[in-house]
Order: sequence, then C-alpha cells, then structure tokens
Amino acid sequence: MSRRHPLRRFPSALMAWRNLGRNRVRTALATLGILIGVVAIASLGMATAAIQQQATANLEGLSNEVTVSAGPDNPNDGISADQVDDIERLAGDATVVPERSNVTTLSARNGAETRVSVTALTKADAMYNVSRGSISNRLRSGALLSQADARRLGIEIGDPVTYDGKIYRVQGILSSSQGIGGQQRVLVLPLSAMDNQNYYDSVTVLAEPGQSVEALTANIESSFNTADEDIVRVRNFAFVQQNVGSFLSTLRLGLLGIGSISLVVASVAILNVMLMSTVERRGEIGVLRAVGITRGEVLRMILTEAVFLGVIGGVLGVVVSAGVGVILFEFLLGSPLSAFRWQSVQYLLYGMVFAVAASSISGLYPAWKAANERPVEALRD
Amino acid sequence: MSVIVLEDAIKRYHTGGEIIEALDSVNFRADRGEMVTIIGPSGSGKSTLLNMIGLLDTPTAGRVRLNGRDVTDFSTDELTEERRSDIGFVFQDYHLLPMLTATENVELPTMWDTEVDRRDRAVELLNRVGLSDRLTHKPPQLSGGQRQRVAIARALVNEPDVLLADEPTGNLDQDTGATILDELTRLKESENIAIVAVTHDEQLVEYSDRVVELVDGTINT
Repeated sequence: MSRRHPLRRFPSALMAWRNLGRNRVRTALATLGILIGVVAIASLGMATAAIQQQATANLEGLSNEVTVSAGPDNPNDGISADQVDDIERLAGDATVVPERSNVTTLSARNGAETRVSVTALTKADAMYNVSRGSISNRLRSGALLSQADARRLGIEIGDPVTYDGKIYRVQGILSSSQGIGGQQRVLVLPLSAMDNQNYYDSVTVLAEPGQSVEALTANIESSFNTADEDIVRVRNFAFVQQNVGSFLSTLRLGLLGIGSISLVVASVAILNVMLMSTVERRGEIGVLRAVGITRGEVLRMILTEAVFLGVIGGVLGVVVSAGVGVILFEFLLGSPLSAFRWQSVQYLLYGMVFAVAASSISGLYPAWKAANERPVEALRD
Repeated sequence: MSVIVLEDAIKRYHTGGEIIEALDSVNFRADRGEMVTIIGPSGSGKSTLLNMIGLLDTPTAGRVRLNGRDVTDFSTDELTEERRSDIGFVFQDYHLLPMLTATENVELPTMWDTEVDRRDRAVELLNRVGLSDRLTHKPPQLSGGQRQRVAIARALVNEPDVLLADEPTGNLDQDTGATILDELTRLKESENIAIVAVTHDEQLVEYSDRVVELVDGTINT
C-alpha cells in the first residue's frame, strides 16, 4: 500500500523526474537537442583523432629519414661511392642506403603495360615493408613490386619481371601504406640491376631512435657544402610531421568549435524549455513555497530537472557517438576498436561533461527565477 | 494563548504613484479549537489579511505573533520555515500537483525533510477524510470534493497550529461543501487547531465560531 518510490530519499530528484514526465514531448525534444550537441562534439573530435592516427601511422616511416641527393654544384651526376662512405662515417649508427633509380615500362603476359619507377638498392628490408612474400637475403636477386601494379599486371609472388634484359622473380608485394605517397608505383631491384650507372641518385639515412634527424641533416650539409657550393642537397621530413601535426590541431579546434556551437544552441533550447515550464507552473511553485518548501529546495528541484535533461541527452549522445566513432574508425583506419583508445574516447567524456555543464548553466536562471517568485503573487493568478 | 495575533497591522501598496492602504490598523487573533471566518466585499483586504496570517506577506507596520513569538521581522527563509512547521493551507482551487499521487500530495510539505518519514501520517490523514481507497490516485482522477479533502489532509500533515482556508467551499456544490465543513469542524477539535477561513459562502459562516467582517481594510465589530 505505502510503496516507496526509489527516489523518495532524494525529493528534488523525485519531483524533477515527475515533472519531466508530465510533458514527454517537450522533454524528448530538449533531450534530442542535447543529444545532437554531444554527437556533434564527440564525433567531430573522434574524427580528428582518427585522421590523426592515420596521419601518424603514415608519417612514421618518413620522420626518421634524411635524404641526400646531388646538389647543383656537384661535379658528378650523382653521389659517388666515396661520398657514400663519408655519409656513413657521419651517420654513426644510422643505416645508410644508397640507391639508383630509373623509370621503366613493365608488361604482362596479357598485354597490360604500366610505367613504374625503378629503385635499385641494397638493404631493401630497411626501407620497405611487404604485405605478402618476404624480403629475403637483403634482396640480392629478387624484386619487390607495389601492390597496385602487381594487381594491374596480374603478377603474383614468384612471377618474373624483366628489367634491362634481365629477369627478376617477384618475391614480395609492398604494403600499400608506405610513406607519404602511400600508393607509390615502384619496382624495387637489387643494386646490381643498375651497375651500369656510376653514381647513386640518392642516399637515404635512416636515423636510429634517439638520433636527431635535424642534427644529422646539419652535419651532412656542413661537411659537404660551403657557403658558395651546394655539393649535396639534404632533406628530412620531420617538418612534414610537425606541419601535419599543427594542421590537425587547428582542424580539431575548428571542428570542436563547430560542435560546441550546436551544444550552445541546445542549451539555449533547454533554457527556453525550463523558462516555459516554470512560467507554466508558476502557481504550482507558489503553492510549494506557501506550504513551506524553501527557496533553496525549489531551486534544487528545477536545477535537477535541467541536469536530468543534460544527463539523459548526454548518455544517449555518448551511445550514438560511440557508434559513429566505430564506423569512422572502420572506414578511416580499418580498425573499429581503435575508437575506444583514450585518444578518441576522451571526446565522449568531453561531450558528456559539456552536456551536463551546459544544461546546468541553462537551468540556473529559470531555477533562480522560480525560487525567488513571491508566493503571494504566484498564487494570485 | 492565541495561536496567531496581528497587532495594528497596516499594509500599503504603491501602484502607479498611488498609495493604496489594503489594511488599516487591523487587530486579529485566532485561538486553538476555534474557527474564525473572515467575510467582506471584494477588495476589502480579505486576501491580504489571510496572507499576513499565513506569513506569506509581512505588514508595512504593526506586529505579527505566532504562538507568542514576534515573527514580523523574520527573513524570507525563516518565514518559510515557520509555515512549514506551524501552518497549513487549503486553497479554493485545491492546488494539488497533478503528477503526484494523493498520498504524495499530502506528504508534499514535508517531502524535503528526508529524516522524518510522514508516509504513515499521510495515509492516516487520508483515511480520516474518507479517502482510504484513493491513496494512489492522482488528482485528475479525483472529484472536486475528493481533491479538497486531499488538500485538507495536506494542510494537516505537518501537525500545524493554524489552518488557513481561502474559499475552501468555493468550487464545491452545497452538499459536498457541507461534508468538507463537517470534516474541518471535526479536525478543529481532534487536532486542537485554529482554523481561519475567508469566504463569501453563507454556509461556511454557519459553521464558524466567530465571524470577522472586513470593510475597506478595517474590521467592523
């Protein structure tokens, strides 16, 4: 008979809950506004996190590379073997990979043709990853081919390719995401394939962890070049990563800004809803005040209503955003569960915190206004 | 000793540069166990007087005493506290909260006092006003007379010393009004409280122990 409501010990919460239940459509619409705001913030945040993860993965291979090629004042048509020795001396523990390059046309048995750049080098295992096959023996005899070209020409592991009249067997297919030009079309051959060239077209120095790419660049530059003569051109890609990083931060701020605007709009909607409902209940709140409910209790009751709207909208928004995040990560990175790494899942938390904070702030004025209404006047009409 | 006393209470309003004297040196008291009815034409200051007795309004000049204590200069929150512990209200339009059950409506004035559970008292009061089979009904499911009885139970849940009724029979038919007045008369004795009612209703006057007539803000004796 006298069954107690579970919220009985929290009268403000009980009253707020009952009040929200009185106009379900209005409550649902206010909640929807918050939900949309949270989804905007959280999914835009998660999208930038996904883009950032993808960019980091792509740039990882580049950030430790220093590339040395012939400068305008180089007497030779490339880097000589002696210069490679000098670079090796300067590089310390870093791996030095000299390479020669060219362009060729590959043709398949079915008549398909494709133009690829050819890179001849030793230590191919330091420079490339394969998605299928392997890089055995530091590539003394076989070839590596980029995935797109292998597919186009119908070439499988073990098939032969011809370069300069010699036959090489494809022993590995390169993974598609390799450096900035992820889809580079390249045929990788042993250095011996281009023995007819005297000079190297470029030398790649792969810094060890802890080695400064910038210092390495500066060292090589200063030992070969003078103020008037650019014997070699030395480049690194550390700046690319920095630029991409700062671009992504700007992007994230911009997107979060857009997301926040929708949450601000939602909290204005809550303000409106709360004001309307307190104006409608003016007489009722007057009765509460008359029968001895204090101003603080009325304030808490109405504030709790606003907080409930924020919490319900926030929780639903987080659930929807988590779904959006999983889809985003599946599309951008191919690994849906990465959405639940802190880097991206933090935006769910931010969305929730913003939702509750925004709705509480929106509830303050209506609650204060209702609590301070004089009961005599509220009861008169 | 009187439960509530007004001494030389004056209430002035400022409206549009004009000063309106709603109450002019009114002396009023109500004792335990009596029903005092305030009558008078519209605009005579009946509501102002009732608001002052109910500590909803304070006089411009004069004193208000509740159980012998001078409460004239109490703050808003102190007055709220006094209403919560010593005063019960019954309104013409019942003013029940539609989303609460009858029992919850009765408990309402004490709902925020989580350390005291008034559930049993609420149920007992509803039994006493004959609504034992309507405990979990919500106001829209109740008739006018039933709603007013819930309102009376609500006014008594805090064990008040004085019950204020503003046109308690105003929205009820003759018979229902009579039952409500019988109810109030019984409660006045069993709870030993003062009842102060404002009315136009002749019937209510018959149930009163004392009638106070207000004309133009002054009491006609």
